[in-house]
Amino acid sequence: MDYILQGFAQALKLLVHGDPETYSAVAATVKASGFSMAASLFLGVPSGFVLGYLHFPGRRQVRLLVDTLLSLPTVFIGLMVYAFISRQGPLGNLGLLFTLPGIAIGQTILALPVVIALSATAIESTDANLRTTLMSLGVNRRQLLFTSLWEVRHGIIAATLTAYGRVMTEVGISMMVGGNIKWHTRTITTAIALETGKGMFATGIALGLVLLLIAFTITLPASMLRRK
Amino acid sequence: MPLYDLKNITHRYNGQTVLNIEDWQVDAHSVTGVVGPNGSGKSTLLALMAFVTAPTGGKIRFNGQSVEPFADNVRGKVVLLPQDSLLLKRSVFRNIVYGLQIGGIHGDLSGRVHAAMSMVGLDPAAFAHRPWYALSGGETRRVALAARLVLQPQVLLMDEPTVSVDAASAQMIKEAALHARRQWGTTLVISSHDAEWLADICDTMPHLFRGRILGNGKQTMIFGPWQRISDNMVGKALTADQQFMATRPPQDLGTAVVAIAAEQLALYAGSQQVPAGRHCLKGLLLRLSYEQTADRTSAAVLVGRTVLTAYLDQAHPAQFALMPGQKVRLAYDPDTIQWY
Repeated sequence: MDYILQGFAQALKLLVHGDPETYSAVAATVKASGFSMAASLFLGVPSGFVLGYLHFPGRRQVRLLVDTLLSLPTVFIGLMVYAFISRQGPLGNLGLLFTLPGIAIGQTILALPVVIALSATAIESTDANLRTTLMSLGVNRRQLLFTSLWEVRHGIIAATLTAYGRVMTEVGISMMVGGNIKWHTRTITTAIALETGKGMFATGIALGLVLLLIAFTITLPASMLRRK
Repeated sequence: MPLYDLKNITHRYNGQTVLNIEDWQVDAHSVTGVVGPNGSGKSTLLALMAFVTAPTGGKIRFNGQSVEPFADNVRGKVVLLPQDSLLLKRSVFRNIVYGLQIGGIHGDLSGRVHAAMSMVGLDPAAFAHRPWYALSGGETRRVALAARLVLQPQVLLMDEPTVSVDAASAQMIKEAALHARRQWGTTLVISSHDAEWLADICDTMPHLFRGRILGNGKQTMIFGPWQRISDNMVGKALTADQQFMATRPPQDLGTAVVAIAAEQLALYAGSQQVPAGRHCLKGLLLRLSYEQTADRTSAAVLVGRTVLTAYLDQAHPAQFALMPGQKVRLAYDPDTIQWY
């Protein structure tokens, strides 16, 4: 029990004293997850709108595929991204292996189905009269898209937070694609795995608490936006 | 040139034709009341006229031009107040100003929003900053109407504007629509079950049934089951001893419906004689309504459980003394009945 309490005390110490190793892992986590979230929102929200709004041939099959991809194991994504960006892979010349951009690509693949599926569900759940209402007020096509998205902003926020939760807490992609290189590609989750392996439970708990703190910092403004 | 020109317009949902209009026009600055039973295609017709949806077949001409949804010449000028009025998830003010903002209209937006709110009887000081969820059903409908009126539309299409709202809101909505017509010459197309209101304000009242326009004016629909009396005549029992008779029945009697216009029914009171060759029905005078625009009085007569509408013959002295509750007779020519 003592080592758990020690973990909480050490977490405060690491943060207050600005432990460089901890802050390096925090920075790596924020950078990789920030890029992957930006990419998955940029691609996923419009795709979710199309999937939830338009009725096109093969829509049900696409929806089934996206829903299936929600269960993609992180280690499988890590494996596939590794295969593509390793020296002998088709994208090996880009030099992405054991880099933060490499991790971000894997995390984008992880987050994208979550953003698409939950955005599509949010769009599908809008009042059937929303399109009629907006068109009867004189929108053009672009205004119809953006106002519809704004009307389902709570659903989009939920999709963002869910995807961010998956990205922040994954280990498989960061470990396989990033290689857990100290000062370079070590994220909070890979650091926790390493510290636990070394028997350094207190440091692991401390890093876990830092992760929670980052999650809280992200969730708070999102929650305030939801209230508006 | 009519404002709207609909020729050979069809619309289908899931392979089923819900609207089939061969030839129909609406004049600019007119008031048109679309009447018809539930499921007759009124909402679909209004959605097509608002260019929210394109018809499955045919083109609607507006101001002489063929128009598609999102066309610049109708956006913000032709507005629809749907039956289930939906507000955007924002304050009352931002709901009403939305149409002006997306239309790129500048100037005194607050003044226009407040004027529109006043038109529908909403106090700007009390309502402007209320969120969308803090309104009653009637207030929601009035905010939705204000969001259309603020655009000073050329055409205002209203789908059952007074359904599910309180009497005060209904009155405000009616007055605001007529105010728009007076102030901006807005063409009004209204679908409503409030036949008295429509009869009072409308220039024309097309009757829609099973997606087809049957004609203008008041109609009574008579549904089956029909009993065959002879090869060329069928009847529908209205009371134990009275039948509505009609000739030239269609092959399929199961779904056949008769429409009889108020002009086809003549009302006889007191000692007035019904001419030979006319079929006569006895009934009870329910109410009398004066139609201001047409300067005539209609009478609703109850025969069994069916209400038939006829116009009074104001030239006949016996009809001056008519009072609701009185026994009257209705007569018509069974050969002129229209089947659908």
